[in-house]
Amino acid sequence: MSFVTALALLIGLLAAAPYMAHRLRRRRGEERPFAATHLVPPAPPRARRRAELEDVALLVIRALAVLALAALGASPLVRCSRLSLTRSSGASVALAIVIDDSMSMRAAAGSGSRFDAAKRAALELLASSREGDAVAVVQAGAPPRVALAATGDIGAARTIFENMSPSDRATDLEGAVAVARGLVAQLPQVDRRVVLLSDLADGQPSASPLEGGDVPLWVPLPELAVAAVDCAVLSADRLRGVIRVRIQCSPDAPLALERRTLEVVRDGKVVTSVVPLLGVVDVAVADDIVPPLVVRLTGTDAVASDDQAPVVVEAATSAVAVVVERGSEALPTGGAPAVEQALASLKLDLSARPLPVVPDRIEDLSGFVGILVDDPPGFTPDQRRALKAFVEEGGVILVSLGPRAAAAPLGSSFEPFFERGVIWEKNKSAGADPKGARGMFVEAATSFTDLGAKERSVMTPADRERYETLVPWTDGAPLLAKRTIARGEVWLMTLPLSVDASDLPLRPGFLPLLDTWVDLARARVSDRRTPVGEPWVFVTGGKAAEVSGPRGPVKVVREGNVARAVPEVAGAYELTFAGGRKEQRVGAPIAKELDLRPRRATAPNTEAKLGDTKATVDVSWMVALVLLGLLSAELALRAAANQKRPAA
Amino acid sequence: MRARDLSKGIDWGSLAPLALRSREVAEGVYAGGHRSARRGAGVEFGGHREYLPGDDLRWLDRRSLLRHDHLLVRQFETETDRALRLVVDATASMAYRGGTAPGAKLAFAALCAAALARIAVGSGDPIGLTFIGGEGPRGVPVSGGREAFERVVAALETVEPGGDAFTGPEVLERALGAIARTARRGSILVVLSDLLDMPAGAVLRVASLASAGRVVVVVQTLDRDEETLPWEGTLRLRALEGPGLVETDPSVTRDGYLRALAALRDEWKTALLARGARFVTASTNDDPVAVVRAIVEAVR
Repeated sequence: MSFVTALALLIGLLAAAPYMAHRLRRRRGEERPFAATHLVPPAPPRARRRAELEDVALLVIRALAVLALAALGASPLVRCSRLSLTRSSGASVALAIVIDDSMSMRAAAGSGSRFDAAKRAALELLASSREGDAVAVVQAGAPPRVALAATGDIGAARTIFENMSPSDRATDLEGAVAVARGLVAQLPQVDRRVVLLSDLADGQPSASPLEGGDVPLWVPLPELAVAAVDCAVLSADRLRGVIRVRIQCSPDAPLALERRTLEVVRDGKVVTSVVPLLGVVDVAVADDIVPPLVVRLTGTDAVASDDQAPVVVEAATSAVAVVVERGSEALPTGGAPAVEQALASLKLDLSARPLPVVPDRIEDLSGFVGILVDDPPGFTPDQRRALKAFVEEGGVILVSLGPRAAAAPLGSSFEPFFERGVIWEKNKSAGADPKGARGMFVEAATSFTDLGAKERSVMTPADRERYETLVPWTDGAPLLAKRTIARGEVWLMTLPLSVDASDLPLRPGFLPLLDTWVDLARARVSDRRTPVGEPWVFVTGGKAAEVSGPRGPVKVVREGNVARAVPEVAGAYELTFAGGRKEQRVGAPIAKELDLRPRRATAPNTEAKLGDTKATVDVSWMVALVLLGLLSAELALRAAANQKRPAA
Repeated sequence: MRARDLSKGIDWGSLAPLALRSREVAEGVYAGGHRSARRGAGVEFGGHREYLPGDDLRWLDRRSLLRHDHLLVRQFETETDRALRLVVDATASMAYRGGTAPGAKLAFAALCAAALARIAVGSGDPIGLTFIGGEGPRGVPVSGGREAFERVVAALETVEPGGDAFTGPEVLERALGAIARTARRGSILVVLSDLLDMPAGAVLRVASLASAGRVVVVVQTLDRDEETLPWEGTLRLRALEGPGLVETDPSVTRDGYLRALAALRDEWKTALLARGARFVTASTNDDPVAVVRAIVEAVR
């Protein structure tokens, strides 16, 4: 720490002196326990309230005066940023400017956004170029795009930057730098350089620093690489009377949602509001409140544009039913069953809804895209009828078979999924056989090799033939198998999901297995929301199609029968096809972009030999004027107080 | 009045004519006095459905088989029991007892819960008890009969207030999670709490219990002090749950407090009504019989 820094800190502490003196005069009231304390507004004692207005004004003025004096003393040290190119050999330079147009660049930096600062820096760099220099422009929002191939026309580059606006895309710094290097690597200029104008927040703060390579990399704006806190509404889906809102904030910011409210808005009027939570929040709305609705977070954070999202009316439902029939009400720990905790740990958009029994009416199953049943004692005729209709309509069921399944009471069975019942017998196999596992299940099967289950369920050969084995035991019997029935699928597991029977639900492979099953189930939900930057491809039959979004019309590229449009910013879009048919879609912010922690930049990338970044400016006259104004305000306040005070 | 003296706290005789009835169909296990969601043995015809292997052959419709060569099963309306699940908030804030109150909030809630249990047992319905927080007994699983009532009363008499739901949301989750998983359709859930120190999101968590055909009644039990903020002069109010400590002057802030309390009630009421649940308010100075009557009316 330099002497100047220490002195500045010492003077800064003096600003708190008037406030500390004010606090020392406080007198405390009687203490009393009260349950509704958080509803009681605070109020200072009467004696202090009388003098409060005058005191606070003087306190602020005096503290500001101390700070202004400190700033006046420090004014010779003030510098301002202005970029310019240095020429190591005095010759012309080949410059590739990589500008980050991702969502994180919307965060505030000084008077504007980070993107504004990057654009300003790019224009400053162009201003310092001269005849013979070559410039290329690359946008670093994922996927990286070449905005301008290498050219000597500096005016064209300036126009590109002046018309450029930020997007809500993700960041791909490595890809963009690689593209930029490729653009200038073959140019005749000896002095080649890639300039990265970015906040370095690409969602990988612990990744290795960006390397220079053959073409030196210059990161001239380290002031943009500052961690910040941002929260975003990633999705808002309406299903009947509930809007399911998914909220995410920057990592390491547990209090980011404190003092903020989640509001549902229609035509600018707040319909309802709730306290927001990280993850999924359900907001109840009356059925008579019709679209379009918008969900927004009040308060401020680093990026304002992602604090609201249009509400999508779901075409299908999004919940998974979990039926774990156990004798006791809860686990000994008081927590949810292992399978419910596993589903929760996947952090899905779908909610896992526990049910005490398998519903026996078709309408009770219509709210689910998948049903997971752990060791059921068979299904009653009504349940079977409902489950059969559910699967035939495209539903997905996962049934684990255990001792209760093998002892199904009279009248209960597993038809039409299998006909002969199962046997719960001693297990002679050590575990799963990864070699016999299908495609994506090999990894899961590897973690099931030594399950050590003492007993397992065995299906009859006739029933086994109807199923496709996904993960086999070492003796060839199915551990996990599936069967397609009409439009749906039935998955069977020959071990129950109780930790008493085996530790299968605690194995690492269980989560990807469950994830695959849930993916299959959620495929039923129509996907009208895609991440920003992901292109929409639609068949137009060679006819025109229009897309309009939050920024107006979006460019549509037609290739034969197919048209393609890319949502650049988050928000609601309307697609209009020939014949007047309209379709609503939503570009959703990308969760990775909420991590505003910057990636490291190595020292060679920030060295001054690559370019000048600082210039001294005189600000002392401005600080002196402020100080004068503060002194005048104090005098005026004192004079006013003297006039109000009654004569002694 | 203390929670240990439940037998003396209420006029048990005045509860005799009351019975828990609801429009919702029930999905009980045993025979009872409520309309069942299932079809089964009964006298009132409830419709036909296709025969499935495993169905009782006694209900096969022979006329349909002979006329149309189609296997149909006759179904009948049946009656079953309806479980009453009592959820009593026993966190630290429920220990509060104001100067004019006959007892603490927990004691009043326990008294109302015991009275409701008595009414349910009298109708032949099973009862269960769950505590939010509290020290001592963990609750009583759902069961029926006089013995179940005795166990519920014993648990209510021995529970001591404790636990912090404001900073520990798992306290609420532990209580409600098991109910959400196990409570059947048509069950009656009565939540007795002051609702003052609930964690964020508790409103929706409680309201969500009202799904799947369950009847939920939330009874906000407050002390007279909490309803009026009666004091004068500068005070330092310390929260019973969570880290809150507020310096205030009730003569200045009383209106603001009452507005905040009304807003809290409105928030709960709106969320509960949106899900079809009911909301009842009670004060520890109220007649417990009147409060129990209000709860029984709300269930209907």
